[in-house]
Amino acid sequence: MHVRLLKELRKDTFGKLGLALIAVFAISALIFPLIFRDPRSHSQVILKPPSSDHLLGTNDVGQDVWSRLVHGTRTSVLVAIGVGFLSTLISTLAGVSAGIIGGVYDKVVMRLVDALLVVPTIIILILVASYVNPGIWVLILLISLLNWQGGARIIRSQTLSLKERMHISAARTFGAGKWYIIFRHIIPDLIPILIVSFIHRARMAVFMEAGLAFIGIADPLMISWGMMIHHALKFYFLPVWKWWLLPPGIALSLLIISFVLLGYSLERIIEPRLLNA
Amino acid sequence: MKVNIINYAIAFFIILLLSFLLPRLMPGDPLTAIYGEETLLSMTQELKSQLADSFDLDKPLWKQFFIYLYNLARGDIGYSYYHNAPVLRVVISYLPWTLLLMGTALILSTILGVITGIESGWRRGKTFDKALLVGMMSLSGFPSFFIGITFLLTFSVTLGILPLQGAKTAYSGLSGFPLLLDVLKHLILPLASLTLVFISGSFLLTRNTMVTILGEPFILTAKAKGLRDRQVRYKHAGKNCMLPVVTQTGIGFGTRLITGALFVEVVFSYPGMGTLTYNSLLMRDYPVLQGSLLIITIFVLGINLAVDLLYRKLDPRVGNAR
Repeated sequence: MHVRLLKELRKDTFGKLGLALIAVFAISALIFPLIFRDPRSHSQVILKPPSSDHLLGTNDVGQDVWSRLVHGTRTSVLVAIGVGFLSTLISTLAGVSAGIIGGVYDKVVMRLVDALLVVPTIIILILVASYVNPGIWVLILLISLLNWQGGARIIRSQTLSLKERMHISAARTFGAGKWYIIFRHIIPDLIPILIVSFIHRARMAVFMEAGLAFIGIADPLMISWGMMIHHALKFYFLPVWKWWLLPPGIALSLLIISFVLLGYSLERIIEPRLLNA
Repeated sequence: MKVNIINYAIAFFIILLLSFLLPRLMPGDPLTAIYGEETLLSMTQELKSQLADSFDLDKPLWKQFFIYLYNLARGDIGYSYYHNAPVLRVVISYLPWTLLLMGTALILSTILGVITGIESGWRRGKTFDKALLVGMMSLSGFPSFFIGITFLLTFSVTLGILPLQGAKTAYSGLSGFPLLLDVLKHLILPLASLTLVFISGSFLLTRNTMVTILGEPFILTAKAKGLRDRQVRYKHAGKNCMLPVVTQTGIGFGTRLITGALFVEVVFSYPGMGTLTYNSLLMRDYPVLQGSLLIITIFVLGINLAVDLLYRKLDPRVGNAR
């Protein structure tokens, strides 16, 4: 399982493209909000077309659309990283522990995983979110808690197969303890899978956050692409959609597509059987 | 086989528990959480205490849960003061439109996805294949609601050739064939959006399977027999792609269907479960929100279970895998 991901990625067009796009989004999420004006300040100039003063015009309460778009990047990227990290962490804990401990514990955890796999997570998310009106951190926590099951199943089966590998039995015969084996052998060997899982979860999370905001479930103070689309869609009969509705939609789609591309090419690198395809 | 159904039972129980506990554990008055503030403000004191009685809010939580289950079993999932009707009746009036939309989109996207997948796999590595692959991958990145919005802006707002919203023209008094035409006209855009959402899944699966199958000896035999390309492509390779396409669609299939449908419906105000959910969120109509989400979940679990059972039947290897 020792694959040099970056080196392989550089050879893959999809992977390169996805990685480059994600880098662009991440950098703009870091830098742009510092440069452009306050996205929350209201003004009297409402629903104005783009001008040198307002790059993408203004919305119905006179806020600058461009700076809202730029700040929205921050929300999406933060949700992507947050959920990617947290849900992968949960799946690793559940998957590795189930694989190592086995027995009744394994059965219980996997039963929970199987049950969660058939549940429509978006529905639960809507239900819970409609009661708790989550801010960004609670939202990250919620999405993560509902999206770790797929990863856990893969990580468990990988742990089971790693456990029996030669180098791990060798380490065991040298007197390596359980924890040493987990942290020095199993987890490092899992890293490629964890990265793929991270990318998939991040993609799901960006979509879910935007989707929830689109149907109006979000902290009203949060600035997010989904919420911009939600508000702008009410004004579809005016030409404002060209600079108010399309940009967040395109940005959102591009970000998700770059995750799809990166995930696909990483999967092909890790799963050599697919490489021939 | 048995193990399987237990998973669904557990999933169902988790959801029941969640929709029972959430409103009751929220800080503040559970009645507020069950009915929403606006509704309660307009209620008289008697009605309120009557409601509190009917929910047995003074009893211990576990007793309340059994009462909740009992009501559920009788088909009583609450009463909507916004619609002034039992929640179940409201939900049932919205459900058929979602079924129509999801069903047609599923059929259309599967057919299109399988055909493009077969053609693409057949021409693996050629420009046609590469272009389709990139196209489908990008498509799978577009959020369902944004595909819908793009269609709405193009065909309804800018070109003005298709209706903006709804499932039929209101108060038109149409019947028979004109009504059917009207319904179809309203269906086109949501259907097209949803089909585009689903198509990449069956395309990618078919293409990958096709590539694997084309390497098998029986394809070589078929070619050696001098069969025409099209015969090999569809009768020999294509037919054998079907099984993996059905089986791998498997788990979580219903989830994907409903997620797409919910968002697309909201864009077109198509009067199905998505729009119902959206409106009840806007109106803070919590009984309907809870009820419709519960019905959707039961429904999705049903689809998932059916697909799961079906594919065990189609491919016995799956059942023996564990």
